[in-house]
Amino acid sequence: MKNFYNDKELLSAYIDGELSQEEKKYIEDKIKSSLELQKVLADLKKLKELTSNSFEKISDSPFFETRVIASINQSPSILFKLKKWSPVLAFLFLTIGLMAILRYSPNLINNLIENQKSNLAGFYKENLQPLLYTADLTNEDLYNFAFYQQLPLDSSRQQLLKLGYDPQGKEFFEIKKVDNPADIKPANNLNKFVSALKLNASEARQIDSIIGSYTEQLSSLVLVNDKNSVAINPSLWNARKALLADIITFAQKHAPVDFRKILPVQEGKFDNNLVSKWVDKTKNSIDSQYIFCTPDSIFKENFVFDINEFKKNINKMEEELKKLNIERNLEKDLKFHFDTNFDKEENIDKQYRQFKVLIDSDFVKVIVNKLDIPEIDLNELNIPDFDSIATIIDKATKNIKIYVPSLPSMPNNSKIFDDENKSGKTKKRNKAEIKIDSLMNLKNVIADSVYKEQLEKLSESFNKQFNFNPDDSLIIKQNNELKKEMDRLRKELQRFREEMKNYENNGKGQKQDNSIEIRIEGVKVIQT
Amino acid sequence: MDSEEKKNMEQPKILLLDDDFSLIKRFIDGDESVFSELVKRHKDKVRNIIYLTLSNNEMVDDIAQEVFITVYHNLKNFRFESQFTTWLYRITINKCKDYLRKKNIRKIFLPLQEEEPVFENINEDSDIKQIVRNAVAALPDKLRIPIVLKDLEGFSYQEIAESMQCEIGTVKSRIFRGREALKKILRPLEKELME
Repeated sequence: MKNFYNDKELLSAYIDGELSQEEKKYIEDKIKSSLELQKVLADLKKLKELTSNSFEKISDSPFFETRVIASINQSPSILFKLKKWSPVLAFLFLTIGLMAILRYSPNLINNLIENQKSNLAGFYKENLQPLLYTADLTNEDLYNFAFYQQLPLDSSRQQLLKLGYDPQGKEFFEIKKVDNPADIKPANNLNKFVSALKLNASEARQIDSIIGSYTEQLSSLVLVNDKNSVAINPSLWNARKALLADIITFAQKHAPVDFRKILPVQEGKFDNNLVSKWVDKTKNSIDSQYIFCTPDSIFKENFVFDINEFKKNINKMEEELKKLNIERNLEKDLKFHFDTNFDKEENIDKQYRQFKVLIDSDFVKVIVNKLDIPEIDLNELNIPDFDSIATIIDKATKNIKIYVPSLPSMPNNSKIFDDENKSGKTKKRNKAEIKIDSLMNLKNVIADSVYKEQLEKLSESFNKQFNFNPDDSLIIKQNNELKKEMDRLRKELQRFREEMKNYENNGKGQKQDNSIEIRIEGVKVIQT
Repeated sequence: MDSEEKKNMEQPKILLLDDDFSLIKRFIDGDESVFSELVKRHKDKVRNIIYLTLSNNEMVDDIAQEVFITVYHNLKNFRFESQFTTWLYRITINKCKDYLRKKNIRKIFLPLQEEEPVFENINEDSDIKQIVRNAVAALPDKLRIPIVLKDLEGFSYQEIAESMQCEIGTVKSRIFRGREALKKILRPLEKELME
């Protein structure tokens, strides 16, 4: 079959006249002996003929040469060609540039990586603080650390630092999350230890002081920060051993029998001197390298942590905080600094003197003589007049007993400044006398004298507004009470009005304007 | 040495000849006006190859122009190692291939279109030539180009191999496979065609 296929291919070349003499002879012999090949040959010849005759020459294109020459003359400039290839050229130049840079400074990339590493290390080394301060560790925690080799890492006690030794005796530490906070801190072990050894109170205090003496050393060995990184000094293992040895030595010395019950395997005896020497040595030989365990990586870096400097900063911060708290407390007192020169401005136009200000060290009151509030016609809206309600509320509140802190004691040399009185009553400006007992009453008097007529009108409108029908309301009882209260108020208002009339009659000839003589010692009044 | 002999030595015979090489030599020497003569000489062949290769009449002049512009820019580097026409046809075939490649890429981004059927309403009046042209156009590029160069342009296998930058054996095989494919396409009309 393959041969036949080859023969057919040879036939194709045969009709094209592309065979060597040898091939030609071979295929001609084959054709003679094979009818099938003869058929194939005839088909191929016919096909070639068909193809050759099916296409006509393309028609002539007039002025083709002229157009080609014109195109050549208009062909894009070198600049255009460069522009076309600009992305490739840019990439090429960049590659060449990079190659040249790397050729002459092969460590460039390494340096960049190192820089980035140190930047990252710097980032994680920021604000490292001793674990003892941040996690608020107790003697109980340190005891657990000595015996059980685990320290809680955060104050929420969700994370734990655990020291240990693998089967080959190599040190390891692990930071793990514990779902149950009780697992981190086995409860009350120190107390159990003390009671098991039957130590007296003084001895228990000594144990506490031994543990306490390690606080500073341990502080600088485990550092944490807000970037979630933990720096552990390898000396931590020694410190733990020292603390453990110290506690055991003390226990052995003070309660040898009970101690043996707790640790029966322990043979021999700790030599006090040897332990103390060893402890001193561990305290003085702290490695300058810390193992940094960060969310991104774990690395070993030189890091100097000065516990004294840290303490100084902490103390300084505490002092600042105290100071700040004192200042805050002071700021709670009211302090209004009004310009006391107001009273010296004698030429201020009277039309601007709209406010009467009463000030003292912890008291400020501003009275507005004239207030232009735009009037709104509420009749169309069929809702009660706001002022009528406000006045009633105001009047009602007068009878409610509210604790009002008594005014501060007034110094004898206090002054009253009343600019409006200045022109006619210069003498009274500095030594005004009080005719009314309290400022509350004073306010009422001012209001009443100025808006007396208006008050009358408003109270009438209120009566109309609050003409309740008990059957209509679900709160019948409350309405009845309100009615009674309103009656009482009305009577009081009437009485008040009469009193005011008397007051006005008495005051006629002395005062023609709205100004009132105030006789409050120690209260400074500025009217502008 | 008389003056006539001297003149002949200074100006080699080849420059006086009117063949392609002499024109190219003059072009290289700075006489760019001869280029239009080169275009005039070869434009028909080039245009025809493009027409047959693409089976498309519309783009012939544009591609032919591109061919001659490329020739113009590269003629100074011509090394006289092969015939000018071999070089010219190679450029032509390459330009056609470029065009076909770009056209195929463009096709990917165009909405699907139904391919033109080779036979449409075949009857006695059907144009056999058109049917054959359609059948040739339906062939893959690598089979169509050697067939048209051989059967229509009369290229030898050697010339086709040089123009297409491939081996003679490949040309031979592709022509045979092209003819087989063509036969298969035209089989429904075998009786009519083979009469």
